Amino acid sequence: MKFKPANVAPPELDMTPMIDIVFQLITFFMVINKFDQAEADERVTLPKDQLAVPPAVHRKDSFLLNFGYLRDQKGNLTNPEPFFFFGDEQVPLAQVRQRLRQEAQFYQTIGTDMKEVVVEIRADADVKSGMVQELIQMCQEDGIGFQRFALKATQKMIE
Amino acid sequence: MKIRNRVGLGKIQLDMTPMIDVVFQLMIFFMCTLKVTEPEGDFDISMPLGAAAPSADTEAQLPPFKVRMIADAEGDLGSLSFNGVNLGGGAQAFAKLNSEVFRAINALKAIGPDQQEKQEVEIDPDYNLHYRNIINAIGSCSGRMGPNGIPVRYISKIKFAPRREP
Repeated sequence: MKFKPANVAPPELDMTPMIDIVFQLITFFMVINKFDQAEADERVTLPKDQLAVPPAVHRKDSFLLNFGYLRDQKGNLTNPEPFFFFGDEQVPLAQVRQRLRQEAQFYQTIGTDMKEVVVEIRADADVKSGMVQELIQMCQEDGIGFQRFALKATQKMIE
Repeated sequence: MKIRNRVGLGKIQLDMTPMIDVVFQLMIFFMCTLKVTEPEGDFDISMPLGAAAPSADTEAQLPPFKVRMIADAEGDLGSLSFNGVNLGGGAQAFAKLNSEVFRAINALKAIGPDQQEKQEVEIDPDYNLHYRNIINAIGSCSGRMGPNGIPVRYISKIKFAPRREP
């Protein structure tokens, strides 16, 4: 004869692992998103080259400039003039001198040798070359004085 | 007098499931996101102020290789020349440039073993030329990708010529 066990307790679902995972992932994405916003700007479409490899030695003092166009969701230009992106602020080339001066003053204040500071230029593939040259010229002006420059590109994978 | 109840004190069992879950989740996440976005690299470049004055390094050395880039009306590469030799336009011009630089580097090696490191390239683009062409030219002068994925370096000293007016 078959007996049914009496008082079978309902199975308890332990939610701790799921909560742990969710919190961990949320924290991770928050940190990553902030980091991305502070560095590379996704509005800039970099040119590609196979030999564009990251520097072998990490640069201690570097200053990143994002220079690109405002585009709609389809990728069409909404403004023919390129801008420098400083977070949510957009600065045209003609007005970026003030920003460069502020950055230079910062490095001078903390006592960094300007020869050690590398200006990393993340310029859009469609930007006019003369504008990049103009930017480098501005960076070298009296009162700013940056001397080292690096042009950013996306590393093109071998097909 | 206070008597402690020693009955019922068992070992505390640590549940490792949450930690293992988190570790596996993060590991899978990193594996999935690896190389989804292409990594960024860069090229060091310099630009002399004003009229070109020879620097101490290049003094008494060979003159820089000159890469002249002329833009068409759309801002694309119209024609490219290397040391005055026209290499045409379009993507083929960069392949030709790469070959020409390789040939020139081999000639330099015959002069002296350290000449290659001292040699400079001067890039002289039209103002309206799209920036992607500059990167292509710098890449072509910098070297080529070897068959095993290790880059073969040609020239590392690259500079801009003074800016041309639009």
